[in-house]
Amino acid sequence: MANIKCTRIRKSYGGHTVISDLNLDISDHEFVVFLGPSGCGKSTMLRMIAGLEEISDGTVSIGGRDVTHLPPGERGVAMVFQSYALYPHMSVYDNIAFGLRRQKVPAEEIRRRVDQVSNLLGLGQLLERKPKNLSGGQQQRVAMARAMIKTPKLFLFDEPLSNLDAKLREKLRTEIRRMHLELKTTTIFVTHDQLEAMTIADRIVLMRAGAIEQQGTPSEIFDRPATRFVADFIGSPAMNFRECSVHVEGDRAELVSGSIRLKVPAKDYRDLVSGARVEVGLRPSKMDIAAEGDVNIISGTVVLIENMGSEGQVIVDVDGREMSFVTKAFRTIEAGQRINFSIDPDNIHIFSRDDGRSLLHAAA
Amino acid sequence: MVSLIRRTVSRGFLALMILIALLPILWTILGSFKKLKDIVTPVPTLIFTPTLENFTTILQNPSIRDGLGNSVVIVGVSVLLGALFGIPAAYSLARHVERKKDDLQFFVLSLRFMPPVAIAIPFIIIYLDSGIYDTLAGLILVYLISTISTVIWLSVPAFERVPREIEEAAAMEGCSQAEIFIKFALPIAAPSLFGSLVFTFVLVWNELLLALTLAAENATLPVVAASITSLGKEVPWGVINASTVILVLPPLVFIGLLMGFINRMVATGRK
Amino acid sequence: MQKQRFVFWTLAPAFSILAILALVSVAGALYFSVMDRSLRYPDYDFVGLYNYQRLLGDRRFLNALKISAIWEVVTVAGSLLVAVFLSVYIFETTRSARTRNLICLAFLAPVLLPRVAAAFIWRFLYSPSLGLINYLTGLLGFGPIEFLADPQLALFSVAVVDIWQWGLFFTVIMLKLLETLPRDPIEAAQLDNAKTWEIHAYVTMPMLKAPVISLALVKAVESLRSFDLIFVMTGGGPGTSTETLDLYAYQAGINLGGRVSYASAMSILLLLITTVVFTLVWRGIRKWSA
Repeated sequence: MANIKCTRIRKSYGGHTVISDLNLDISDHEFVVFLGPSGCGKSTMLRMIAGLEEISDGTVSIGGRDVTHLPPGERGVAMVFQSYALYPHMSVYDNIAFGLRRQKVPAEEIRRRVDQVSNLLGLGQLLERKPKNLSGGQQQRVAMARAMIKTPKLFLFDEPLSNLDAKLREKLRTEIRRMHLELKTTTIFVTHDQLEAMTIADRIVLMRAGAIEQQGTPSEIFDRPATRFVADFIGSPAMNFRECSVHVEGDRAELVSGSIRLKVPAKDYRDLVSGARVEVGLRPSKMDIAAEGDVNIISGTVVLIENMGSEGQVIVDVDGREMSFVTKAFRTIEAGQRINFSIDPDNIHIFSRDDGRSLLHAAA
Repeated sequence: MVSLIRRTVSRGFLALMILIALLPILWTILGSFKKLKDIVTPVPTLIFTPTLENFTTILQNPSIRDGLGNSVVIVGVSVLLGALFGIPAAYSLARHVERKKDDLQFFVLSLRFMPPVAIAIPFIIIYLDSGIYDTLAGLILVYLISTISTVIWLSVPAFERVPREIEEAAAMEGCSQAEIFIKFALPIAAPSLFGSLVFTFVLVWNELLLALTLAAENATLPVVAASITSLGKEVPWGVINASTVILVLPPLVFIGLLMGFINRMVATGRK
Repeated sequence: MQKQRFVFWTLAPAFSILAILALVSVAGALYFSVMDRSLRYPDYDFVGLYNYQRLLGDRRFLNALKISAIWEVVTVAGSLLVAVFLSVYIFETTRSARTRNLICLAFLAPVLLPRVAAAFIWRFLYSPSLGLINYLTGLLGFGPIEFLADPQLALFSVAVVDIWQWGLFFTVIMLKLLETLPRDPIEAAQLDNAKTWEIHAYVTMPMLKAPVISLALVKAVESLRSFDLIFVMTGGGPGTSTETLDLYAYQAGINLGGRVSYASAMSILLLLITTVVFTLVWRGIRKWSA
């Protein structure tokens, strides 16, 4: 059992508070990603759970045991660092074996487990090398082997892939995910890359300015962002935002901005009254060239088409401001032409202009 | 053609500079193998029958032998103690002191500002009064000011260059502070630390004023060398050359190390 | 808790030794400077500020102050000029890394020499009757020059030795610094058709402002330790033409009659001057380079 419970966590440096009153529960076997822009406190949270950073206030417990004041070595956690932090003066074998030697595990047992872990990660040939003679991807695997061999209750990853090139990053991402499916060890993974978070997480904890902005499965976060910040941070290409005025007619609400008129069912949202002003978000990937019978059509002039391979992002001038949408049929479009595109009413996100919170009823 | 001339001129200038750097030293080494009659000539001689006379004179001279022995003991012990006290202090300063770090580092640096006479004068009285004047221990004690402060001064950046994450990874494996220091920070920073010790060694080996002031019979090699200007009637240039050579040898051994040290300092200092 | 203990036990021994030794020497010098202690007699009395009063009227002290100031300026400026000029010259004319390394090794040798040894080497070279330099000048038709016996020349002749040691050493450091500079701004300047000296005057040297300043500071501190060199080469002479403050303090306190109290007052003043000057310079530099 290795569930994690963080209760009323506060972190201050001197008089400066960076995290305050943060509560978080992670259940056993879960793969959780801390996501957010740099400086949002995600790494600080991870380091407090690891024990590398003192906790100013509140408690952390791992598997039901209060570890708030335990040194990192006694928490039963293992960590993979962004720079890998391999011991440069030790061979790969010694790097991996170091933790077990400290635990006074018998030499044969160590040899057996190092072999097992290094074969699993494809490091069998490299055991005698020094870290400086390894490629970035190999160093990354040694760091993972060093963490795995201790069979910890909790894995911590601090932006472990950000020093690798795109291709290797994708490969190792899959490997980490596969490793988790096999070992089922509770894992916390920190990243600022939303795509990485979406592909790897059971649950994303999206942080902003030392507080949790929203947490949920990748689909929940993508489809029902709780705030404008989340909607803007997740998804690529980024969401289009327009400030609209509201006109309610019966059970329909119309959102108006210039030539744009979008109809949504009024009962799904709170605080939609005639004359109110709201922020409306439209995902480029949820729009397409308008087909027969579509409602919610937006028209404009094509400015530019970005070829992304199987799809294209079309940038359109609507009332003098740019919007974009993604379509597979981008090869039929030319810059300068008029175009109509549309969005499904279920994919229109409405946010309060005051606090940026989503007005959708179901979204907390 | 013009470029050929320019190249030759610039080559020549560089050769001249190297000559200026090295010739004085080489000339002295040459002189140490000359008999006095080959030195006292109106035209400098390059061809002569080499002699080891000067070196035998020197090595038979008890005061020089003692000076050499004293230097080895005094410099060795004070550098060793400097390392023993200075290196752990530098580590904690680099890693664990935040608010007071600048003050402590400035204090260490300010000891380098202190004119050596300002140390020598009060210590000579205190040493005379307490009976440790002219003892090896007395000299080692004042040299500790130099060695500890220099070791700290040069080792703090060496420890700052050890990646923090490596030490954190060791902490994650349950290592105590002392273990992290001894098993990780120390070996990783070792090359730079060695450089700082060499620098400290050269500094103390070359010191004259304190040794001259605080010791008489038990002085170090520079003091003895400085005093042989007049052995007998004539100025014994050959002997002076030979003792200079002996004085010069130990520091020159480290020239390659110093070079590596500069390379590392410069390379990481400008990130 | 365990961490605090570790920090305490690593810092406390080193810093308490340093603090005690520094305190003893400063407090000792202060204490003896208001006494009339001499090395010959163990008894002494309180004389108040008498020693300081006498110092301010002591022409030899004022002369030493002047000599020290000249020494500082000449050696600091000389070393830096040599370093800047030579490093740029080598940087521009020598491309091969091996040649550069050889030059660096040669240039590092002088600074490693003990000051006493350097002093002997140059005293030998400067010698009017059998020195190499006077032989060479003789070939060019100059009569023997009394480098160390001429009061006008002696201080500068000694300064040359100091610059020979430190200027060449700094050349190596400057060359290494030039090598670590990013190439882009230099190449941009080349594309703008800048001449070589313009590139260095307007691009590389401004980029190296901070390290050059710290080199100047290091040299200024090191130049205070001129005693060894001057003591062996001239002993302060001829007359008092090369007598710096530390030399005079040594002569007064230890050599001539051992008037240690008088010398203590002098070293206190020396300490005061260097502290004030360096603090001011330090602040000025911080402001200027900020």
